[in-house]
Amino acid sequence: MLVLELMVILFLASIVAGVIGSLVGLGGGVVVIPMLTIGLGVNIHYAIGASIVSVIATSSGAAATYVKDKMTNLRVGMFLELGTTAGAITGALIATYVNSVALELIFGVILLVSLLPLVRKIGEDIPVPPELTGLSKKLKLTGSYVETDGSTVNYNATRPAEGLAGMVVAGLISGLLGIGSGTFKVLSMDLAMKLPMKVSTTTSNFMIGVTAAASAGIYFVRGDVNPIIVAPVAIGILIGASMGARVLTRARNPTVRKIFALVLAIAGLEMVLRALGI
Amino acid sequence: MNLSDPDSMNTVISKVLRYGVLLSGAVIVVGTALLAAHAAFSQSGSFLTYNPNQVPHGSFPVTFNSLTAGLASGAPMAIIELGVLLLLATPVSRVLFSIFLFAAEHNRTYVYITLTVLALLLFSMLVTPYIPIFGG
Repeated sequence: MLVLELMVILFLASIVAGVIGSLVGLGGGVVVIPMLTIGLGVNIHYAIGASIVSVIATSSGAAATYVKDKMTNLRVGMFLELGTTAGAITGALIATYVNSVALELIFGVILLVSLLPLVRKIGEDIPVPPELTGLSKKLKLTGSYVETDGSTVNYNATRPAEGLAGMVVAGLISGLLGIGSGTFKVLSMDLAMKLPMKVSTTTSNFMIGVTAAASAGIYFVRGDVNPIIVAPVAIGILIGASMGARVLTRARNPTVRKIFALVLAIAGLEMVLRALGI
Repeated sequence: MNLSDPDSMNTVISKVLRYGVLLSGAVIVVGTALLAAHAAFSQSGSFLTYNPNQVPHGSFPVTFNSLTAGLASGAPMAIIELGVLLLLATPVSRVLFSIFLFAAEHNRTYVYITLTVLALLLFSMLVTPYIPIFGG
């Protein structure tokens, strides 16, 4: 394949990955990795290197809009980043002792199982705000944003310790598998902390850039970040993510939840199939 | 701008992210245009070779010396990698700015939380790649 062809294909596919990733708070690795390995026969290490960069591009490209619109909860994001960065370092530390195939299988199954509670509340729009108590109160894990119809939505976070524990796992997975693990972040915020779906996906989007940056250094130094692959991916994702961000601010919570459930199912299946060598 | 106003925190962080993205994106576009001018109609295979037995695994510049040499001679690959590094620096600078913004809010708890995140992040990005037990 000619360099030009490769770059054009990657650029166009990455725009799509950027739109999807920014909508549901993931990094686009779900799209980028199989496209590179299965679609174009690129070495898995280059695919993972490109995925790490695509996560940072999705995050930074969309977060500018989400933060300005006050959809992202900055305090929730910073608090939970304690867990993701600590987890990412631990993941890098134990990576050589862990069977990544088994890990991928376990993580894929976790994602598929977590579809159940997600689907059960598929029509939920805004959760009833629980009382702000304990650690959530101390850390002011509360906020509000303006919905599409102009109404203000107030929300409080519950069970911050569980949310933080979920983030340690997300960071661990990220350090071990080279993915942004936005799926797990959204799930923790949605199921444990009971945040509105749009707050969960945009706050996850905000955080995945930092999680990915934590493990990016190692991939860069190893020479896994191949410019010929990463350049069209990064530019495509940046464009796609800024488009997706404009869509999300106008989308409804139940719609975002449905798209997230679909992407989660695909991501879970993809991991299980890859682990089983299919 | 009144930094103790919570709204300005969103504005500043949003700007940090936007400028980071625009700057890194522009550098990558320049590098890509130069690369396309040189090699658009070459076969991509030789650019995609992965050598598992040597570090770095590819034949593009990733060390400080090879990057600075490449940039001095205007090598497209080095320019793209510089853009990628700027992109990687964007979330880090966002964390860094948050420290000052929480400090301006007199939000001491969050200053400590953010400082811890920054320390963990910098350790992971800059130190672990060179420690063998981390796979460096």
